[in-house]
Amino acid sequence: MGRSFALGTAFAMLALAIAPVPLARAATVEIVIEHLEAHETGAEPAVGDTVVFSNHADIAHNLYLTFEDGTVETLNTQPPGTQKSTVMKKAGHVIVRCWIHPIIHMEFDVIEKKLN
Amino acid sequence: MLEPILGTRTLIAWFVAVGCLSYGVVIGPGDATNDNNAIEGLSAADLAGLKQKFRRPEGIPFPRSNPHSLEKEQLGKALFFDPRLSRSGSMSCGTCHNPSFGWSDGLAKAVGFGMAPLARRTPHVRNMAWGAAFQWDGRAPSLEAQAKMPITAPDEMNMTMDLVVERLKAVPGYAPLFQAAFGGEDPINQKNVTAALATFQRTLVSGKSPFDRWVEGEDSAIGSEAKRGFALFTGKAHCSACHSSWRFSDDSFHDIGLKASEDLGRGKFAPPSVVAMQNAFKTPSLRDLRLQGPYMHDGQLHTIDAVIEHYAKGGEKRPSLSFEMKSVELSERERRDLVAFLETLAAEPMPVSLPVLP
Repeated sequence: MGRSFALGTAFAMLALAIAPVPLARAATVEIVIEHLEAHETGAEPAVGDTVVFSNHADIAHNLYLTFEDGTVETLNTQPPGTQKSTVMKKAGHVIVRCWIHPIIHMEFDVIEKKLN
Repeated sequence: MLEPILGTRTLIAWFVAVGCLSYGVVIGPGDATNDNNAIEGLSAADLAGLKQKFRRPEGIPFPRSNPHSLEKEQLGKALFFDPRLSRSGSMSCGTCHNPSFGWSDGLAKAVGFGMAPLARRTPHVRNMAWGAAFQWDGRAPSLEAQAKMPITAPDEMNMTMDLVVERLKAVPGYAPLFQAAFGGEDPINQKNVTAALATFQRTLVSGKSPFDRWVEGEDSAIGSEAKRGFALFTGKAHCSACHSSWRFSDDSFHDIGLKASEDLGRGKFAPPSVVAMQNAFKTPSLRDLRLQGPYMHDGQLHTIDAVIEHYAKGGEKRPSLSFEMKSVELSERERRDLVAFLETLAAEPMPVSLPVLP
């Protein structure tokens, strides 16, 4: 009885270990811009997640993201009260700036795809 | 003999009352607020909040990478006014950034090497310590980086930094100044030249203006016209969308719909897809504005009335026109109020003594 139980438990654990693990659903991380400041969220989006930039300022912005490999993605002019979003395609450090307002500067890291 | 219907005392009182009422009608409602800090359409709380946004800071920020010292500041001042930093030996930073013209040159467009006209107006160099991007197109991320740009630009001072260092080393009087400012071996080098120039420029700060005194609570420091102008500036006229903070600039870049030229401004450095940066130039500070003009990055507007008219019309409509540019109807009185407000941003010029060069 004891041996059967132990064997059963071991098989069950092995089955769990080798079973295909479903990927986490892509998440959305929001970054709020108020006047001339992009608020740090502390969140680390993963590859595949969407980062949404919400312009809560009463002036327009034109954000661009510089990725660790030097590529730049521009989100174009963003009037007050609007959102722009982009999907994170690769892991690494990202710097967010604004073409119109160079004083805006924030950074975050994109991590590898999360597993459940 | 006829007897007066009203008594003498009654008649005098009547004349006084009518006279005062007439005076009130003549001076009009605009001056009724002359002796208090109320502004039509703004609550006391709103006004206090607005004033706070434009309050001047206490001290000058210096970066940790280039802290202030008096020796460095004095060396920077000598370099700023030394024409030997130009190839011709006849043009210093102070030639264009002339303190007698409010640290600019009063010209519509600057004059460069060989007296050739340049594409842009000379910006003044006050309040740079708080700057986020430098040059009309923002291509310099720091004052240290900016300092060498006009020195090495072929159409400006037309030098190389190597030649600057060589010339300075040949002037015996510079060695002790560099030694006092930086110490170490061989302190006359490119990095220290730009560090000293940046340090000196950070010390050029606008003096306290009537507007500053009003913000600090001196209600009579500015008149009622200027107070109404401030309300317009921060409200209906939408000026403070860009001319914000105590410097009256947020260092932002916009195409304000001026007559375009081949000079794309920040558009030269931004990807072509960033349409908003085409014809975009830096928002200039409005402190110590020279109200005799000229105005704009290329001096194309000559009077302050023309500037206000340009903003009232909203600029030329094109894809790159800034989102913040919106036409607005302004009455003659409102235009006068805006100018009255701008006048309150000017402080008494600070005394400047020219250095005796080594």
